[in-house]
Amino acid sequence: MGRDVETLEALPPMGAAFARALVPSRAREARIPAHAVRVDGVVQDLDRLADYSRVCGYTLRDTVPATWIHVLTFPLHVALLGDRRSSVRLVGAVHATNTMTLLRPVRATERLALQVHVENLRPHARGAMLDLVGRAEVDGEAVWDGVSTYLATGMEAPGAAAAGVEREPWEPVQPIARWRLPAHLGRDYRRVSQDPNLIHTSRVAARAFGFARPIIHGMWTHARALAAVEGRIPAAHRADAAFLKPVLLPGTVGLAVSPNAEGLRLAVTTKDGVKPHVLLGVHPAR
Amino acid sequence: MSHTVVVVGGNRIPFAKAGGPYARASNHDMLTAAIDGLVARAGLAGERLGEVAGGAVLKHPGDFNLTREAVLSSALAPETPACDLQQACATGLETTMYLANKIALGQLTNGIAAGVDSTSDAPISVSDPLRRILLKASRARSAQERIAAFAKIRPGHLAPQAPSVAEPRTGLSMGEHQALTTVRWEIDRTSQDELAAASHHRLAAAWDRGFFDDLVTPYLGVTRDAVLRPDTSVERLATLRPAFGGPDGTMTAGNSTPLSDGAAAVLLASEEWAAAHHLTPWAKVVDAEVAAVDHPGGADLLLAPVGATGRLLARQGLTVEDIDLFEIHEAFASTVLATLKAWQDPEYCASLDLDGPIGECPPEKLNVTGSSLAAGHPFAATGARIVPTLAKLLHERGPGTRGLISVCAAGGQGVVAILEAV
Repeated sequence: MGRDVETLEALPPMGAAFARALVPSRAREARIPAHAVRVDGVVQDLDRLADYSRVCGYTLRDTVPATWIHVLTFPLHVALLGDRRSSVRLVGAVHATNTMTLLRPVRATERLALQVHVENLRPHARGAMLDLVGRAEVDGEAVWDGVSTYLATGMEAPGAAAAGVEREPWEPVQPIARWRLPAHLGRDYRRVSQDPNLIHTSRVAARAFGFARPIIHGMWTHARALAAVEGRIPAAHRADAAFLKPVLLPGTVGLAVSPNAEGLRLAVTTKDGVKPHVLLGVHPAR
Repeated sequence: MSHTVVVVGGNRIPFAKAGGPYARASNHDMLTAAIDGLVARAGLAGERLGEVAGGAVLKHPGDFNLTREAVLSSALAPETPACDLQQACATGLETTMYLANKIALGQLTNGIAAGVDSTSDAPISVSDPLRRILLKASRARSAQERIAAFAKIRPGHLAPQAPSVAEPRTGLSMGEHQALTTVRWEIDRTSQDELAAASHHRLAAAWDRGFFDDLVTPYLGVTRDAVLRPDTSVERLATLRPAFGGPDGTMTAGNSTPLSDGAAAVLLASEEWAAAHHLTPWAKVVDAEVAAVDHPGGADLLLAPVGATGRLLARQGLTVEDIDLFEIHEAFASTVLATLKAWQDPEYCASLDLDGPIGECPPEKLNVTGSSLAAGHPFAATGARIVPTLAKLLHERGPGTRGLISVCAAGGQGVVAILEAV
């Protein structure tokens, strides 16, 4: 599509972009970089995969979870949202929804080419929305793709705010699981995900963004929910997640699972099942 | 037995030395991998199986439902029940017999028998005095009581307790016990090294001819048994220092099994179920016998299978001449050699109330694709490694050929089984 691709030498891309991504933006107008960032020949670190699997509750398999590939692309999110051409910063951007498709099982020993770009900047009632679109390839074959939609709160984007996505009205559920999330979970997940955002680990930083306590990463909650039903996830599948309400640490949440015509519907809720934190749909990839 | 029970497949992950490529994998991870590989190969994804029986020798307290949890992580239907069994190194053979017996009785039509062990991810526990103090503190009703309990902790209590392979009644390790047997049965160093070298060479040859292509699934980048040394030789093994039996000992790291990580699984079925699922029966489970010796009354710790072998053959009206292949678990090379000597010893067999010696096992019929010395020995997985290996070997040789499995186990126990190609 004629997008410029900047190929990085290795993951994670450290340096100025990394530091900038962590400093909230003062700009009002949301700007996004037009180029894609790419890194080739990524060797998956089996030790880190084992650690990631423990923290998220996955069985350590010869094939990797789809959320793990998202984690591998995350440094590219950081690079794009720390780029000079971006006025949207990682810090201050809220992960609103996430969609990914595992097109075929990916072995832990396969070398990946990862590429991410930003697109679809659009206005939203509370700011500007944008999509980080990722893709993983093995020897030129696409094996995974993902779209992470972020909301840059308080920023402006050209155009008229589109109507919000219609969601089924929420009905309280009876959770079938209760997870007690310890205070150190944010640090544990930071270690395995390398997501440096301080709102997950620092009370002071969390307060600065309006949270009483640190909040767990949405992608941990996403992964933990998939891990709870890992035996039932099709080999090639699509997972859609909506992050509705942050989970404070330490805390206790519930999980509700219901099969539907398409696959499985998962809800991570308050421990009483009254309010949803994260809603997930998992179904076979087509 | 009213129903014929057949072995229709097996799967394991390659075995590896402790602290090696599976250092970060748990029993749960490896058992799930072994089951999932079998499920994928047999086309059983989403199926509700009759039962899965598995076990591990070194088990974390949190893994009380190890096998059921592995089933839930696997591609099997969550309605598949499971249970954990444990009989030390005979676990994988005992889980096979447990399910075979249920299928024979008509209680089940199919099941997966499995075993797994990780010596890399072994549980570490606190010392017994510290454990008692912690339990007392947890029952305390006041802070004062709790402090009083904690005040009793002494530095010596804090040393973590690694699991040991020592016999609780004797304090001797398996190797030290076997060293006594090695001397008693006059097993020389060269014979042990020859057996070890043959094990490596035969396992390597089996890999080379693709024998394990439908018996093993790669895991975490390991595609062949990581313990295997195809280029080892009697000369090279002869250079190793004794590991058991003192400076004059004949048992070395080369002719003893290393601490290993791995998992294995066997698919068992009634003939009808196998046919309905288009699975080729390799061999039927004929019979089995479990036995124990007088321990710690001085009997050879690892020779319990000898009595079981004699009684099992007699019950089936068979002699060693009727057996085409022998699979004797190589806990140590000298265990196999002492077992074979014991089979031919009239006095020893008489002491077991057998009608005469069992007989001779021709070397060319013994462990023809190698055994635990070359493959490694993740304790509970070994039986579930041997059963499908032997079943497939018998199937290659044709209907009616028979094989005998002999596995020794801690506590002076052993399990022996007979399979017959169908």
